[in-house]
Amino acid sequence: MKFNIEDLPVLFPYPRIYPEQYAYMCDLKRTLDAGGHCVLEMPSGTGKTVSLLSLIVAYQQYYPEHRKLIYCSRTMSEIEKALAELKALMKYRADQLGEEEEFRGLGLTSRKNLCLHPSVKKEKSGAIVDARCRSLTAGFVKEKKERGEDVDFCVYHDNLDLLEPHSLVPNGVFTFDGILKYGEKHKQCPYFTARRMMPFCNVIIYSYHYLLDPKIAERVSKELSKDCIVVFDEAHNIDNVCIESLSIDLTEDSLRKATRGANNLERKITEMRSSDAEKLQNEYAKLVEGLRDADEAREEDAFMANPALPDDLLQEAVPGNIRRAEHFVAFLKRFVEYLKTRMKVLHVISETPPSFLQHLKDLTFIEKKPLRFCAERLTSLVRTLELTNIEDYQPLQEVATFATLAATYDKGFLLILEPYESDTATVPNPILHFTCLDAAIAIKPVFDRFSSVIITSGTISPLEMYPKMLGFTTVVQESYSMTLARRSFLPMIVTRGSDQSAISSGFQIRNEPGVVRNYGTLLLEFSRLTPDGVVVFFPSYLYMESIISMWQGMGTLDEVWKYKLILVETPDSQETSLALETYRTACCNGRGAILLCVARGKVSEGIDFDHHYGRTVLCIGVPFQYTESRILKARLEFLRETYRIRENDFLSFDAMRHAAQCLGRVLRGKDDYGIMVLADRRFQKKRTQLPKWINQALLDSDTSLSTDMATASAKKFLRTMAQPFSERDQAGVSTWDSKDLERHKEKMEQEKIRELRNGGGKMEVDGVDGVDGHVNGQNGMNDDFEDEDMDALMRDVDAD
Amino acid sequence: MSRAPVRNGAAPRRPGDEDDICPVCKSSRYLNPSMRFLVNPECYHKMCESCVDRIFSHGPAPCPVAGCARTLRKARFRRQTFEDLHIEREVDIRRRVAGVFNKREEEFESLRDWNNYLEEVENLTWNLLQGVEVKETEKKLDAYRRQNEAEIKQNAALESQEIADSEAQFAAQKEQARLRREAARNEELDERREKEEGRREIIDMMAKGDGDADAIARESQKVILKKSTARRTAAEKSRQQAAAKVDNGAAAAPLFSIQGLKRIPQSVPEKEYDPFGGYAIKPAYYYLRDHYEHSWLDNARSDAQITAGGYDVGEYCARAIMEASGGLGVFIEDEIEGREKRVEKEVGTASAAIASGGGGEGVDGDVL
Ligand code: SF4
Ligand SMILES: [Zn+2]
Ligand SMILES: [Zn+2]
Repeated sequence: MKFNIEDLPVLFPYPRIYPEQYAYMCDLKRTLDAGGHCVLEMPSGTGKTVSLLSLIVAYQQYYPEHRKLIYCSRTMSEIEKALAELKALMKYRADQLGEEEEFRGLGLTSRKNLCLHPSVKKEKSGAIVDARCRSLTAGFVKEKKERGEDVDFCVYHDNLDLLEPHSLVPNGVFTFDGILKYGEKHKQCPYFTARRMMPFCNVIIYSYHYLLDPKIAERVSKELSKDCIVVFDEAHNIDNVCIESLSIDLTEDSLRKATRGANNLERKITEMRSSDAEKLQNEYAKLVEGLRDADEAREEDAFMANPALPDDLLQEAVPGNIRRAEHFVAFLKRFVEYLKTRMKVLHVISETPPSFLQHLKDLTFIEKKPLRFCAERLTSLVRTLELTNIEDYQPLQEVATFATLAATYDKGFLLILEPYESDTATVPNPILHFTCLDAAIAIKPVFDRFSSVIITSGTISPLEMYPKMLGFTTVVQESYSMTLARRSFLPMIVTRGSDQSAISSGFQIRNEPGVVRNYGTLLLEFSRLTPDGVVVFFPSYLYMESIISMWQGMGTLDEVWKYKLILVETPDSQETSLALETYRTACCNGRGAILLCVARGKVSEGIDFDHHYGRTVLCIGVPFQYTESRILKARLEFLRETYRIRENDFLSFDAMRHAAQCLGRVLRGKDDYGIMVLADRRFQKKRTQLPKWINQALLDSDTSLSTDMATASAKKFLRTMAQPFSERDQAGVSTWDSKDLERHKEKMEQEKIRELRNGGGKMEVDGVDGVDGHVNGQNGMNDDFEDEDMDALMRDVDAD
Repeated sequence: MSRAPVRNGAAPRRPGDEDDICPVCKSSRYLNPSMRFLVNPECYHKMCESCVDRIFSHGPAPCPVAGCARTLRKARFRRQTFEDLHIEREVDIRRRVAGVFNKREEEFESLRDWNNYLEEVENLTWNLLQGVEVKETEKKLDAYRRQNEAEIKQNAALESQEIADSEAQFAAQKEQARLRREAARNEELDERREKEEGRREIIDMMAKGDGDADAIARESQKVILKKSTARRTAAEKSRQQAAAKVDNGAAAAPLFSIQGLKRIPQSVPEKEYDPFGGYAIKPAYYYLRDHYEHSWLDNARSDAQITAGGYDVGEYCARAIMEASGGLGVFIEDEIEGREKRVEKEVGTASAAIASGGGGEGVDGDVL
């Protein structure tokens, strides 16, 4: 369908649109117009991706700036989905407009998924594919080839040089499959095609890491211009991604390997001194001049890039005492040796980077400045030495990155040395964690660089937490409710077992037989009444194991077994995918199944249980993090001191976002239905932290149920769901066609006029309430109005 | 970097495990678990403590390791810091070089000169390390030392001053972090207690049975809320004060740092004492007239009964107008924002160190 948002004509590839999609698009447009950031929470299964894409593409094509869209998602499958949506959208646009637009959309993923080289692509590990590809495509390989030397190279890569650099692929949207096929047909490498075409694309879809991980971002995303529109989808975990991308763990083993790497480097240098001293001399001369390597810019695939260095530092010349290759390797060795010494300490140490640097200097006379240049200097050296088996130097690279980070940031990072694996271990096995405490550091360059960053997810409540943690301000911050023609999902909080005693996964009582039995009964009841699939989430593997074994002893599982097949998620991903497959089969053939999994596991994040794959989701216990971890403690402290986020607030926020993720798994569309059970006494108080759309559907009477009440209510719900329900009933309420939309717009228009008329006086009274207040007020109206409509309809349905 | 830490499954080799046999007396750790190894920076040959006692107790003696035969003194034996003895030696040499070549970056005209100097020094060190042209290098070192004695001393003093400064700063940060932690904990306890009390009150009131239960609950809820906001503002205030204190401390610090030393501090003529600390009470939003025409004030101006007591109409007018314009220019949003910005990440990081257990101490005691 086709409609206008203000002056912007939008083509939406479906005949009907959900009211929340329309609201979402309006807010998106507002954000883009204002040129700021926003946080938007859109209920899962309401077509977030397609609304996002159709609005932004419309925006791109309509306004002369043609702002580029960078769409980041988390998993490979989500990226693929988005690409497919985009492709469909562009096809629809072409049909409607009667012509193909000048438009390119590409996705980027690792070489592992995009390689065509017959032997390289067979490698199992991504790191090896990367390393092997580099050895086939590095700049010096080409030089050697031109000189007529006999070297291994990749034709797919070299063919690219024969094409025009700005049009390696024709217009259109390429899914991963599509680009692989195209690459195979034209014998050109899909990975480098995508990489090189990035500056010429209108839409780029890739994983978070390409923007957030400074090592990758520096290389992949640096040409992107400032007015790009950046979208982080499924962003509820974005703070953790940021933190992980700047944290490093070192073990004794990795240090040993680093030493080995340094020794190798030393040998290579000696070799080169005797055979090709000129190259080393060239490098040295360049470093003296403080010139960035001219090739560097062209080099698509340097060994590694510098992690998040301030720009002014990047312009500076490398310090004199690590200019010569020999000096630098000796420097590295000394640093690694120092780290080894630190590892010998047998008690826990946590210190800030400045204190670490001071101690380092006292002991080894390593200054902060050369340390800062470590990563960059190593890259340059590796390039000069023309090393091919780069994977051998990975541990050394890690040490160099660590050095650079530790010398660059004195705030927001912490070094924690844990000599023992656990509190009870007697044999030391030390790990040095260099951990980032401040999620804002990694994402700051993104906010600084791009004018519009959109952070969105199905569950991203409470909204104000994210700007706080990530250090940015928003122009729009909105959570949408779900308009439904009938109540198609039933959230419930179960606080008591059938014997009326409280149930909870709290530490004191989690292993009491009474509580475990009550949970068992709950599971049994729901396995009995739910058709097809049931998904159960536990707070941790440990707890899941213990409770399963207790259920086994009580005979609960035998009972459940009569109704459903039981499958369990394990930390091993292969096993889990097997379990999932079996689960799906059992759901399809009518046997029905239960999947027991963990709230922070793989299943809870990436796997959808739409329709019969998940009719009930059962959250057993509040999925709190393991609070004894030192890293977490440090982070909590930092959050409290820096952002005034209290420990308990953060922990509870974190637990609830995971719970919400779990709940969202079963509802993947408006025609879907499901029961969501939160089984813990403590959920009652945390209710407000649920996403708005879930919280709104949660009736007050359902917030403190016992098992039998919950069962009764669930049965009733399923009975309503079994009534025939046709598309028509939804029309005009939870889905709009063009006419409904027009009507809605008209109504809004009138609202606005009315508001202006009586609001005119009001504005004068409290002038503080400026423009923002006005707009918000309008939105509020909108919601109320819809709710009323919905309520009316619900009543009708009930009456039937 | 997001890789999970891979701990190697096998029991890790502790440093020194593999060569647990003293090369001199051949006794092994197996027989003598408390055996400790020492090295002498003369030749870096390793031997056990008892050997050192046995051989060198009666004065200097030649190194017992075959083919070495340097004369060693017991006093100079020490435990090794680094597992790799080459590094141990390297660091000793570096210490010596750094004691002589301690020029500072700000002494150089340009960054390039500084870098050249650094490389020059590194070359010298390198020669000593690799044992090439040792004699000449030593000579250079010596000559330089003699030439620049005064300067070297001065730079060394600066350096140690800097270290002391930064240590003092670490300590201050840590102390502040500790205080803040404590404050936060107390705050939390207070809050919990208050909530508990509030709840009890409600129950009591309900038990007494007068009034509508809902109303009571609502009313008390309000009271609790009020209390907690009051407490929070108080806590915020004290926090700000603490932050201000630290700011002042930091402002005082640069006096000790290098720049301060170079600049010859000028004595500033003392300013006149201002009891308000520069704060002028001048009306910003209105203009005070000498005389306000009001018929009902005339009486107060002229009546001796009123003026005798010292009542002044001018005073009264001034106050009335000031009160009327009192809140102008106060923007709560801005103030709140400013308050939040005040937070320092340093302290956050320092206290994170404490929270994560290690106490944030250095390690010197253990390593050395
Ligand atoms: S250039 Fe492309 S096809 Fe060739 S090895 Fe690398 S990724 Fe594979
Ligand atoms: Zn001995
Ligand atoms: Zn000796």
